Amino acid sequence: MNDPRKNSDSEPTTHFGFKDVPESQKAEKVAEVFHSVAAKYDVMNDLLSGGMHRLWKRFTIELSGVRVGNKVLDIAGGTGDLTRQFSRLVGPTGEVVLADINDSMLKVGRDRLLDRGVANNVQFVQADAEKLPFPDNHFDCVTIAFGLRNVTHKEDAIRSMLRVLKPGGRLLILEFSKPSSALLSKIYDRYSFTVMPLMGKLITNDSESYRYLAESIRMHPDQDTLKAMMVDAGFERTTYHNMTGGIVALHRGIKP
Amino acid sequence: MLLSGLLAGVETGLNQVLKLDSTALPRLEHLAGKVIAVDCQSPATSLFIMPDGEGLMLAARWEGEVDCRLRAPASSLIRLATSRDKTAVLHSPDVELEGDSAVLLDLAAVLQDLELDWEYELSRWLGPVGSQLLGSHLRSRVNWTTQTLDTLRLNLADYLSEESRTLVGQREANARFAELDDLKLALDRLDARIERLAQRNKPNE
Repeated sequence: MNDPRKNSDSEPTTHFGFKDVPESQKAEKVAEVFHSVAAKYDVMNDLLSGGMHRLWKRFTIELSGVRVGNKVLDIAGGTGDLTRQFSRLVGPTGEVVLADINDSMLKVGRDRLLDRGVANNVQFVQADAEKLPFPDNHFDCVTIAFGLRNVTHKEDAIRSMLRVLKPGGRLLILEFSKPSSALLSKIYDRYSFTVMPLMGKLITNDSESYRYLAESIRMHPDQDTLKAMMVDAGFERTTYHNMTGGIVALHRGIKP
Repeated sequence: MLLSGLLAGVETGLNQVLKLDSTALPRLEHLAGKVIAVDCQSPATSLFIMPDGEGLMLAARWEGEVDCRLRAPASSLIRLATSRDKTAVLHSPDVELEGDSAVLLDLAAVLQDLELDWEYELSRWLGPVGSQLLGSHLRSRVNWTTQTLDTLRLNLADYLSEESRTLVGQREANARFAELDDLKLALDRLDARIERLAQRNKPNE
């Protein structure tokens, strides 16, 4: 999904929202966005989604099929919503790794989980989704919730996730997608480009980060494209479930 | 998505209630890792319950393995949820259990034995003195209401059976039932006697 165009210095470019930036700068720019929003990430999620993000994550947990003793990797785990539930499901004999490339988000997630007494079976790792620092065939389930669209090379990240999964393991990608109805799409566009930056300005004093959020959602591959990317990477039995009219989709693939 | 939202609300409320009983969560911890499926036959819907040391997790669907499956019509499930004696409902004929039933019976036992410490929760908001005052006031009100309702029930029964003679009194009814039982036994004996006489007088074939 990277833009194949080259800039004047011949460095490949990719999109950062609606702008094209050199690939080497995207991670840094995304990091700036998340450093800026980390402290109020949960509040903003609740406000902007009207609490729906909790239901989307519940559905992800339901489809994960995680059991006692499983090893789970929660990439771009942010403030640890999924990690907390996985920690309950895998129990003391299991292991959950909360990985995030952004140290601000990781610190917020770690503090939040420790405050809630979630510690025994959870590890916190700062890691790039494209180059996961874990052995091959290690995890029973890998999830990435609202993180893939910020990754520079999505294909590399999906291949990296495939590598660390055990055969039969499941990858779950929860991400904003394309609404299935034209009317909903229009309402959603209006909401994304007016209400979201305005609320960002009022609550975090940062409208640009929320403008980037809306733009990055539009630039993210739609349901079928992402499904095809998973199949190309080597996943089998790949399916997706639309939620809230396709505003969000949950993709699932099994490692053969 | 609607069902998931509903379950999320129920889960939060239920776990708050479970926290009011100091023994419930440690007992639920022994069931951690178990998955109980509840299949309602009419209307057809499923619910998955996963107990652990933090309470109950509820899910509308579950892709993993299930340890115990309970199938019952909605009426039995409502009785199961509201009844004090949950094990009796679980043994009723329209309830089907599959898998490790001990998991479900243990969960039912935890829910059945719930003794909610409302005063502790109140004391967190009102302090020890306020919760004691409010608690004793509420307890005396509850006792008064219970006694008043008992007295009303007895007085009403007395009035209807003894004074207005609208209904038959309990003792009078018991005496009549005893007479009817005697009469039934006497009729049975008479029937047997007639049968015996008829056999004796039957000409030999």
